[in-house]
Formats: sequence, C-alpha cells, structure tokens
Amino acid sequence: MKIKKEELIEKLRELSSNGYNYLVKITAVDYIDHLEVIYFIRNMQNKKEENVRLDLKNGESLPTVIEIYKSADYYERELSEMFGIAIEGREVKRLLLEKWDGLEAPLRKSFQWGSDYKSG
Amino acid sequence: MLTRINVGPIHPSTHGVLRLVVTLDGDTIVDVEPHVGFLHRGVEKLAENRMYMQSESYMEKIDYAAPMAYSDLYVAAVEEAMGIHPKERAKYVRLILLEFQRIASHLLWLGTFCNDLGQMFTMFMWTMKDRDLVLNLLQDVTGSRMFYVNMRLGGVSIDLPPNFEEHANKLLDYLEKRFKDYEAFLEKNPVFIERTKGVGVLKREDAIALGVTGPVLRASGVNFDVRRDYAYYAYEKLHFIPQVQTRGDSFARYKVRMQEMKESIKLIRDALKLMPEGDALGMPIKLISPPVKESEVIVRRELPRGEGMIFMVTDKQRPYRLAIRAPAFINLSALRYIAKGARYADLFSILGSLDLVMADVDR
Repeated sequence: MKIKKEELIEKLRELSSNGYNYLVKITAVDYIDHLEVIYFIRNMQNKKEENVRLDLKNGESLPTVIEIYKSADYYERELSEMFGIAIEGREVKRLLLEKWDGLEAPLRKSFQWGSDYKSG
Repeated sequence: MLTRINVGPIHPSTHGVLRLVVTLDGDTIVDVEPHVGFLHRGVEKLAENRMYMQSESYMEKIDYAAPMAYSDLYVAAVEEAMGIHPKERAKYVRLILLEFQRIASHLLWLGTFCNDLGQMFTMFMWTMKDRDLVLNLLQDVTGSRMFYVNMRLGGVSIDLPPNFEEHANKLLDYLEKRFKDYEAFLEKNPVFIERTKGVGVLKREDAIALGVTGPVLRASGVNFDVRRDYAYYAYEKLHFIPQVQTRGDSFARYKVRMQEMKESIKLIRDALKLMPEGDALGMPIKLISPPVKESEVIVRRELPRGEGMIFMVTDKQRPYRLAIRAPAFINLSALRYIAKGARYADLFSILGSLDLVMADVDR
C-alpha cells in the first residue's frame, strides 16, 4: 500500500496492533527524482505480508519507527548511510560504513565507481 | 564502576572480522556495541552494474559457509522476474543439494560453537571430517567444494551423476549414526550443558520484536519456517516438520540445528525416492538473458542461517535495485539485547549460538 510520509507512524501502529508484529526489512529504491522507501511487515500468526511504501523527495528526512519495531534499528542505520536519508527522532550511528563521512551515499544512482573515495 | 573491553576485530571467537565494545559492571554485561562493516563489499551495488547472470557467483561469496543457498536465492529471484519455472526434476535436485548444504553449514557451526565453549577440538575434528564427506558429495555433482555456481535459469548446470543415490544414501546412514554420537557426547557433557542451558535466553515476544530469524527464532518457540509457510520447490510435496524449541537459550538454539539436520536427512531420503526421471538442466549462461516480465519481485528462501529475502526492481538487462535481507545481519542486531545481564564468559556462548557469518552481515 502506498501512503504519505505523515501517515507512516499511524499506519504502522495500526498494523502492529492488528498482529503485523514482525518487521522483515526496510529498504529504499532510488528513482533519481525521488526515493521510495518500503517497509516489509509480516503477521506471524497467519503469515500474511504487507508492504508499506512511501515516496520521499531528495533530501527529505524519515521518521523513525523504532518505537513500534525494535528491529528497525539496524535497518534505519543502513538506510541512512546507504541512501543518505536522515532519520528523525533518534541518534543514528554509522553501521557498515564507519569512515564514509562527507562522501556520496553509495546506493544512490549518482554515486559513481572509483570516484573520490579515500580510505582512512 | 563500569569497565570497557574491546573484543576483536580479529578474535578467535568472532568467526570473521567483528569488533565488539563490551561495557561491564564487574563481570556482568551492561552493553555490547557491535562494530561491523570490515567485510563490506557492496554486493547490492555490484549487482546493479552487472548483467543478471553475471552476479550469481558474487552472491555465493555473501555466505561462504552455505554458498549454494545464496546462489539459489538469487537465481530464484531472476527466474521469477523472467517468468521461468524450474523443471520438475530440477525442483528435487535443488532441494537435495540445498539440504546437503544445510547439513554442511550446520556441521561447521557445531564444531566452531564447541570450540567457543572450550570443548576444544574434539567436536571440531568430528564435524569437520563429516562435513568434508558432504562436501565430497557436492563435489561429485558440481565439481567444486566451496563455490558451486551450479544454479541456472530453470534448473541446474549439471544433473546428479548416475551413482548419486547410492552414495547419498550411504552418507545419510553414516551421518545419522554420527548425529547420535554427537548428541551422546554433548548432551551428557556437564561443561556443554553448564555453558548453554539457561544462557542467553531470548523470549518469544522479544524474538519477534527483534526480528531474529531462522533457528534463533524457532528456538524461542515461534513456529515459522519459510520452507513450510512460503513453500517452494519440492518442499510443497514432501512432509516436513519445522523444528521448534521453547526455552530460547543457547542450548535450544543448538537443539534446533541438531534436529534440523536430522530433518534434512529425512527430506533428502524422501526426495531421492520421489524424484522424477527426466531433465534437470537449466539454460546455459549467456550474457543476454531472456526478457524480463515483472517490474518487481520478492523472493524468500530458508537459508541455513535464517530467512533470506531478495527484493529486486528490474531493468532490461540488469537489476535496477537489488536489496538482500541477510539473516545474520538481523540476528547480530539482537546480540546486545540477549547479552544484557549475562556474564562476560557467556558472551561467546551467546554469540556463537547465533551462527553469524560476518560476510553475510556486511555484504
């Protein structure tokens, strides 16, 4: 289902109280003019799945869902460093790319191979 | 007073390059902060820049303990995108090879886990020897011991050799006997029991909230297995019971994997009996793949370490975006919650029982 960014927390709360209690993954797709963020959520009782999708403009931030799904911790950290999406409402430490500061987020389409990455 | 201890990045019990910063109050763990990323190779980005079938061998390197499971996951995603269905015999061949891969992976885990617990080398020697026999069998089929790259669109690269059934049955009989030995050795062993029972308890609700997967999830009493709940290949036709334990401690996680290996033996035996004659060969690898029909695919597979998922947005000849859900990644994120309140000496019992492969965490 496609929702607006403002509805995200409310929608996920509603789903999690309806038994959709397992977060499978959060990921994003870079469509150059905008980003699509996708939450894969599963109901562990009847094994049904729901995809919650929302569009983000470039440079827009995303509210954290860690209050609803504890497992969002690593996924949000990954999202913020791989796509350069700022996460509101929590401290986001670097996870996989600890020394990547100031460089282009690698999973954005604008990231070019062999560009100015310097280790250390 | 709190003490901080650095563990790793190179440490015998981290099975790869993992750095843990452990905060201790006396001997009790207050917090564990994992630092990962040492093995990050950007597989998802690499796949975006290669033709569909060029990425298969990259996928195997994600999890070097169970490479075939990952190449199967990726090829299944490509098949789904192109609307190709595997041949009837190929469904059985894949199941048999994947279950042997699961046994090999669990055996590697069991040996190293016992090393972590101070059961130095007896179990490690036993399991490595038996794992070698499984690898020999896989070598008979694919020609390779570690990275197989034998999945093809619609089937496999090489069909099972003519004497495979005989060899496989002989090996399964042997393994069944050996698993009894393992159980007798471990479950009557006071050191093993002391260091696993009641250690690192993860309750059912927490397991779901933390999103852990695979044997770790099932050890906490959640009856979920992708092979049954989103059945694929010949799992649809074969009778199979997901192994569930309720205690949620390190011992339960060991027990789930042990039982799973026995279940794999049953599955392979049934599959060998029911496997139809015919052709299991897939399309040869060509740079230009068949046209893509779906714009987006989601594929799930039960890997030895847990549920693996690929979400792929397709383009004409290469993936536009390939997102991999790695089971070890999410299991590692649960470490700090499980380890909180445990003693420092038990940290490696907990870490070991999660069965992490760092290449899988970092991708």
